[in-house]
Amino acid sequence: MSLLVIEDLAIRAGDLSLVDGVSLAVAEGEVVALVGESGSGKSLTALSIMGLLADGLDLYRGNIQFDGVDLATLSQSQMRSLRGSDLAMIFQEPVSSLNPLAPVGAQVAESLIVHAHASPKEAARQAVAMLERVGIPEPQRRAMQLPTELSGGMCQRVMIAAALISRPRLLIADEPTTALDVTIQAQILALMSDLATEVGTAMLLITHDMGVVAERADKVCVMYGGRIVEQGDVFEIFARPKHPYTSMLLKTIPQLDDPPKKELFAISGNVPSPSDWPSGCRFRPRCDRADKTCSTSPELSGKGHRVACHHALSHIT
Amino acid sequence: MSALLQVSDLEVHFPVRTAGLGGKRVLVKAVDGVSFTIEPNETLALVGESGCGKTTTGNAILGLAPVTSGTIEFQGRNLAALNTQERRKLWRELQVVFQDPVSALNPRQTVAQSIAEPLQINGYSRIDIIKRVNELLELVGLNQELSQRRPGALSGGQRQRVVIARALALSPKLVVCDEPVSALDVSIQSQILNLLMKLQRELGLSYLFIAHDLSVVRHIADRVAVMYLGIVVEQGPAERIFSQPQHPYTQALLSAIPLPDPSLRNTRKQILLEGDLPSPLNPPLGCPFVTRCPIAEPACSVTRPSLQAIEPLYFLRCPVSASQRSVPVKLPIS
Repeated sequence: MSLLVIEDLAIRAGDLSLVDGVSLAVAEGEVVALVGESGSGKSLTALSIMGLLADGLDLYRGNIQFDGVDLATLSQSQMRSLRGSDLAMIFQEPVSSLNPLAPVGAQVAESLIVHAHASPKEAARQAVAMLERVGIPEPQRRAMQLPTELSGGMCQRVMIAAALISRPRLLIADEPTTALDVTIQAQILALMSDLATEVGTAMLLITHDMGVVAERADKVCVMYGGRIVEQGDVFEIFARPKHPYTSMLLKTIPQLDDPPKKELFAISGNVPSPSDWPSGCRFRPRCDRADKTCSTSPELSGKGHRVACHHALSHIT
Repeated sequence: MSALLQVSDLEVHFPVRTAGLGGKRVLVKAVDGVSFTIEPNETLALVGESGCGKTTTGNAILGLAPVTSGTIEFQGRNLAALNTQERRKLWRELQVVFQDPVSALNPRQTVAQSIAEPLQINGYSRIDIIKRVNELLELVGLNQELSQRRPGALSGGQRQRVVIARALALSPKLVVCDEPVSALDVSIQSQILNLLMKLQRELGLSYLFIAHDLSVVRHIADRVAVMYLGIVVEQGPAERIFSQPQHPYTQALLSAIPLPDPSLRNTRKQILLEGDLPSPLNPPLGCPFVTRCPIAEPACSVTRPSLQAIEPLYFLRCPVSASQRSVPVKLPIS
């Protein structure tokens, strides 16, 4: 049974469509990667699950169910208590996502005090234990410090500690390592996986980095122009991509065993902004397989490995 | 052959005050003894994590950061010894492409105005400017119709092409590229990398390519210098650095790159470094990498190892890994 089910989600800003018919599911303990470039709608999808869409953005259509409950039926305060217990989110920019005026230990402990009604003393004890668990040296002393006294990598660990201390059932991680250096990224990803496995947390991992997807995800949803264009098992998607966009995206990644200075595979054209989305298939202007049929929108179809394309790549096995 | 650019023992130190009332004056040694050369038509990549001094090194070469000691020679002339007029002349041949094309372009100027600016400053005639701007637009693959647009009406990849066109306006010999693709979408990055490689082939440019993404560097660089806390820890031909990295930091950096192939999951040994980069305000004594190094020996925290030439063109700053090599690596016979 799926923990999170999103059906036909559409988000608009006035008349401008930003997310258009996204459906996906995350099962208990599963890691689902949502991949896409800027403007593809991946972060908006995540924010709408948390009920954190900015003013002016309108959840125009669709349905989000968490553990069988339609989130639209919850009151503000019910939603708030869900966010502090079963649902948690990590943002891309660790430094700007923490309160600059509160010691990091208190920020980690906050959800225990507010939602689990732990005593401040007990919450502080658990927060220090959690900071130690995420690899912060001298957690007792660090817990008293402000975010500005910590490095970016350490702030991201604090965010992870704060997100996981309430043992959430679903963790939404929006580009959790994009702002970090590569050696710190490796630490943080390993840490998130370890903790998620230990607690049994499912994860919706939002990223643009196919390397991170390959190393961490069970399932993949590829987004382009506000829609999911392909979804399926991670091994399937990497070995036998069916959508031309997924296939091209995989080919653009420089391989470590390529001959030096070889010309890289490039997708022509630009990533369109929502106001410039074409009718029909949104990848059509950049696609080498596009023809007249592509002026009607392709449906996401197939079982297990699904693709939205009139000319999907076939793989003979 | 004389090098196009020769940087010798470059140091850039910034005085800062430590936090709090009555903070002490301390020196941040952002760049602490860096040496390298760049030959004509060659790409040297400077890699390392944030705070390692790679951008400051680039800025010092461009005259945007104060040089504390050491020399920078461009085309055989010491930049510090030149008067303002001579330096200006030399700077035409030394240009820069920054990471973020949004902040690198004036939002009120059209594409054509941005590209024309260096030409105007250098006294080109109106006719020559129009001709050169059109040439440059074609060179970087921008449609002439875009020339009257402002940056706000362009995509990220198009903006970076404008920045590159402007850098090439005065036909430079060396372009410092500071993370030129890291602000771009994945599907656009390879377009820009291909453009940079094409321009190098056609114009014989040299690049100082500053980046943190090693799979990109592997592709574009002839030689690589790996920096850590203001010093170079390993430097050599790209092929060599990527296939047989010797310094434990380079090894960790390479093994941390996520591989875009799920079937390779758990098949390779990842070296996970413990802890963060030490504060440059208070670097460790001895080897700066000692606090995170998996093979550190007691001597490493006492004396700073020197950068040793293991082979011509290959330098390593780690006596431990140098001595641990059981078989001496031979030069490849070509």
